[in-house]
Amino acid sequence: MKFSSNGLYVEEYVKCTNCGTLIYESDRPACVESTDKELFCSQWCVDWAAAREKRWKQNA
Amino acid sequence: MDPVMMKILDSTMVSVCREMGITLMQTSYSTIFNEALDFTCAIANRDGDMIACAEFCPAQIGGMPLMAKSMVKEMPLDQFDEGDIVLHNDPYRGGLHTPEHTFFKPIFVNGEIRGFAVSIGHIAEVGGMVPGGFCGEATEIFHEGLRVPPVKIVSKGVHNKDIWRLLLANVRTPRYNYGDLRALISAVDLGERRMKEIYSKYGADVVDQTCNDLMDYSERRMRAEISQIPDGIYPFEDLVEDDGIEDRPYKISVEVHKTGDDIVADFSGSAKQAKGPINATLGVTLSATYNALLHMTDPSIPKNSGCFRPIRVVAPAGTIVNVNYPAPEVGGNTETHPRIAGTVIGALANVIPHLAMAAEGATHGNFVFGGVHAATKEFFACYDIEVVGWGGRSFADGNDACDSINGNCRVTPVEVFEVRYPWRVEDWVFREDSAGAGKFRSGVGYTKTLTCLNDEIIISQMTDRHKVAPWGLNGGLPGDKGATLFMLSGANEWLDASQAYGKISPSKYSNISIRKGDRVRLVMPAGGGFGDPKERDRESLREDVVEGYVSAKAAQDIYGL
Ligand SMILES: [Zn+2]
Repeated sequence: MKFSSNGLYVEEYVKCTNCGTLIYESDRPACVESTDKELFCSQWCVDWAAAREKRWKQNA
Repeated sequence: MDPVMMKILDSTMVSVCREMGITLMQTSYSTIFNEALDFTCAIANRDGDMIACAEFCPAQIGGMPLMAKSMVKEMPLDQFDEGDIVLHNDPYRGGLHTPEHTFFKPIFVNGEIRGFAVSIGHIAEVGGMVPGGFCGEATEIFHEGLRVPPVKIVSKGVHNKDIWRLLLANVRTPRYNYGDLRALISAVDLGERRMKEIYSKYGADVVDQTCNDLMDYSERRMRAEISQIPDGIYPFEDLVEDDGIEDRPYKISVEVHKTGDDIVADFSGSAKQAKGPINATLGVTLSATYNALLHMTDPSIPKNSGCFRPIRVVAPAGTIVNVNYPAPEVGGNTETHPRIAGTVIGALANVIPHLAMAAEGATHGNFVFGGVHAATKEFFACYDIEVVGWGGRSFADGNDACDSINGNCRVTPVEVFEVRYPWRVEDWVFREDSAGAGKFRSGVGYTKTLTCLNDEIIISQMTDRHKVAPWGLNGGLPGDKGATLFMLSGANEWLDASQAYGKISPSKYSNISIRKGDRVRLVMPAGGGFGDPKERDRESLREDVVEGYVSAKAAQDIYGL
């Protein structure tokens, strides 16, 4: 979540690329940024998204 | 772990939550609270985990922890004082939809926060584009009423009058809103007082440790239940029929992954978010997934955040299951929630059909209206919940005319409805042959016909199931759909909102002017049947015919009597 510099409003609603959970500043240390700059809330979400993409390609 | 202490504390805290709910019921002003019971009450720990709740509205129970956690992130614990109360309804900060107002009161013991008393309730009138909150044609969150990020409406026991003035200036029924909001505050006041008594009786460390044990216990019980399900990936899809803006269906797609004692519900295949108000927030999708799994597991497991630990939800942003700001979302919490829960149940029905239910009507009707009452000259607004037939199960028929699985609400009695609002209820009738046929049939739907007694009532609706029938299971047949029909004063035919008023959707529309003598007929859907209708117990079928639930012709043609 990106708040304005005065803290009074939200400038950007930041969500995990995989699970869609809101990411506050306090959540950042646990987050993982992928090589193409996508933000994930955890390594679990990085792995899950990759596995899903692979499975869907196989099933296509 | 002391199991005796755990049981005593669990039962005591659930009783506290029930007492909070009774306070709400007895002190609120609007029928959506004191008759329909569209609220719930809970106790959370200092991290925002729910440790106890009462059995009121399931949609709110599953959604509460995310609201609590976002509140704690924006308002750290060291910023709280004893006597503070926080108000929060923001759908884009963990909330469910704008009407769902949530109050948190910190529970201080010896100067330290130990948890929160929480009350959450559906405020009938929230400002925005239509009286009654459900704007079927909304295209932005701003059409859906006032968003309230976490704010201290009470600081150190003193009400913040500036916030009250701001809130009450933005709604059509300030007197009622004030009454309902104060009722929610009374509930958290009571919850805080009772929890302090509990802390005083048993000691803070014992209570906190026991609450942690309790959540661990619920987690173990839930994991044991999940372990019984065969490992695998189970897909299912269902549709929301339209969004009020474009005449096309929106897919909800789930893959339920069961591995060991974990479940992941991945909704990545779902439709992109809609322009209209059918979108669900992440809180709704979490809540719907929890709701489905709580329906399919042992009901005696204590309901707290421990139950949710084995369950992960993947709901990509920008889809119908995790809407991005600033799209509208009011119907996500009522209409899309039961669709989402239904897809999880439908997916698991592949492997645990004995615990599954065929589709239910899965709408709350969401018939909302307002106007100036001729008798009182005061503006009134109402959120009227209507109910549906539930799906058949492997061991029983579906419930007749019962609120959709995320609501657990009641229908306002006719006598109260007619006293409070200028409508006359002409009839309220179970519909013959509406139930999805099956070895176990669904519950039946019904019709309710209202005549307008006021010079004008402005109505809106945000419902579904007028085009897509509820599905059956294991050879059970689909149930009948719903409809909303209008007969203007002096006319002699029933028309839907598209025919009568040129609306894109017959189920989602805004601000139709109903005049004195006009009639509105709410036709509520049934659910799907379970199992082959020809296997239905003959005595039960004869009883259905005698009761007028099944016609003699259908008994012969469909059930093979
Ligand atoms: Zn994530």
